[in-house]
Amino acid sequence: MNRRHPFLASLIFMAAVMTIAATAFGETLYVSAKSAQVRSGKTSLDPVVANLTLGDSLDVISRNERWLHVRTANGIQGWIYATYVSPSKPAGGDNELAALGKGFRRTDTSGVTASAGARGLDKASESYAHRAGITQQHRDAVDRMTASKIPDEEIQAFLKAGRLGEYAE
Amino acid sequence: MRNKLSHRLFMTGLALLAAAGLAGCAEIQQAAEGVARNSGNERLAKTIRGGGTLIGGLLPIGYDEERIIGQAIALQVVARYGGVYDRPDLTRYVNLVGRSVALTCDRSDIDYRFAILNHDSINAFAAPAGYIFVTRGLLKTIKNEAELAAVLGHEIGHVTQRHILDVIQRSKQIAGVAEAGLAYAKTNPDAFKNVIDGAVKTLLDEGLDQSKELESDRLGVIFASRVGYDPAAYETFLTRLRTLKGDDPALFKTHPDFSSRLSAVQSTISEQKLPATGILLADRFSRAASGAL
Ligand SMILES: [Zn+2]
Repeated sequence: MNRRHPFLASLIFMAAVMTIAATAFGETLYVSAKSAQVRSGKTSLDPVVANLTLGDSLDVISRNERWLHVRTANGIQGWIYATYVSPSKPAGGDNELAALGKGFRRTDTSGVTASAGARGLDKASESYAHRAGITQQHRDAVDRMTASKIPDEEIQAFLKAGRLGEYAE
Repeated sequence: MRNKLSHRLFMTGLALLAAAGLAGCAEIQQAAEGVARNSGNERLAKTIRGGGTLIGGLLPIGYDEERIIGQAIALQVVARYGGVYDRPDLTRYVNLVGRSVALTCDRSDIDYRFAILNHDSINAFAAPAGYIFVTRGLLKTIKNEAELAAVLGHEIGHVTQRHILDVIQRSKQIAGVAEAGLAYAKTNPDAFKNVIDGAVKTLLDEGLDQSKELESDRLGVIFASRVGYDPAAYETFLTRLRTLKGDDPALFKTHPDFSSRLSAVQSTISEQKLPATGILLADRFSRAASGAL
């Protein structure tokens, strides 16, 4: 640090320490699962009071083994299964470097990924299939795979039937 | 005056570009390009950006590009392994198990999709962007849902850690990729095909680095355990494979020997204190697989 301003340096240091301490005290956690429910009690049988998605922040009120008593950003209080949260904010999507890389590679994604998102193979993969001599049958297989969706509720029902995740015990 | 400013800008640009090249710091380069462009020096901006294609090739691959690479590799996997096994109920079951595990994996923001390959060998593959395959032969070897969850967790681990993308970026073919970026799939399809063929060769013929396989073994058991499956199931499964295939590296060239894999899994279970939940769900697995394999 700057030798000519030891006071300033220590002030900055103290501010940094206080910031870290404050964060540890309030304990903010983030949803690390694709989606997660906050319930009115600490069992999976309790009604859902809030539906959260990846990256949503939560303040911890108290802990109880596998369940955490939390407050959502909207001020809703309830319980969340501990596996669904993490102390660090999940990256989610492309990081800044990946986004920059895309820019440097002069990507025109509009044409290339026109069919992306909604369903089926991207145009670029289609043309690769053509060039590589992949049969229509095999293209259809990857196309179906790409388009296949399972609603969240069905995955939750599957977990529940197997007593998995928050439905354990 | 204007000339002098141009010159100074040019030198600044070069210095920044050199710094960017050395440190791999793309922001510096982008800043340099911005400075040049804002000063009206489009030519200099272009020069800096020209250097950027080189650096661009070294930057991480974004999800739009990953999805196209993943689909192209998936097409080759399907073609090389006898097509997809047409059993909608069983495929749905594998997807339910896989997507349940993916729900709380370390990269849960992307879609994961699972298909069964109509092949007798005991194999599983993961292409980028969450395209995951298991062979019919593998499913025949599996005894319960907890084993399947860990196997799928292993493949999900390859995706969360971007193992294939790492292979692509390290390959010499990156020169072609860096040149034209994602648009190369359209504008230079031959270069794109070379990149894909190289990645497929690594995935299907040569195998990934042993360190990547062991990392995925650790993640597979961790991801499955997060959902509540008993982590010991993966040990049982690997032990069964060792009995079936042996530790002969020639027989199993695409993965490390089973003894190393087992000890990686065992140390992960104890270090991470993964709970022995006893949840195996053998009945649910048998019901889904009955008559379908
Ligand atoms: Zn593997």
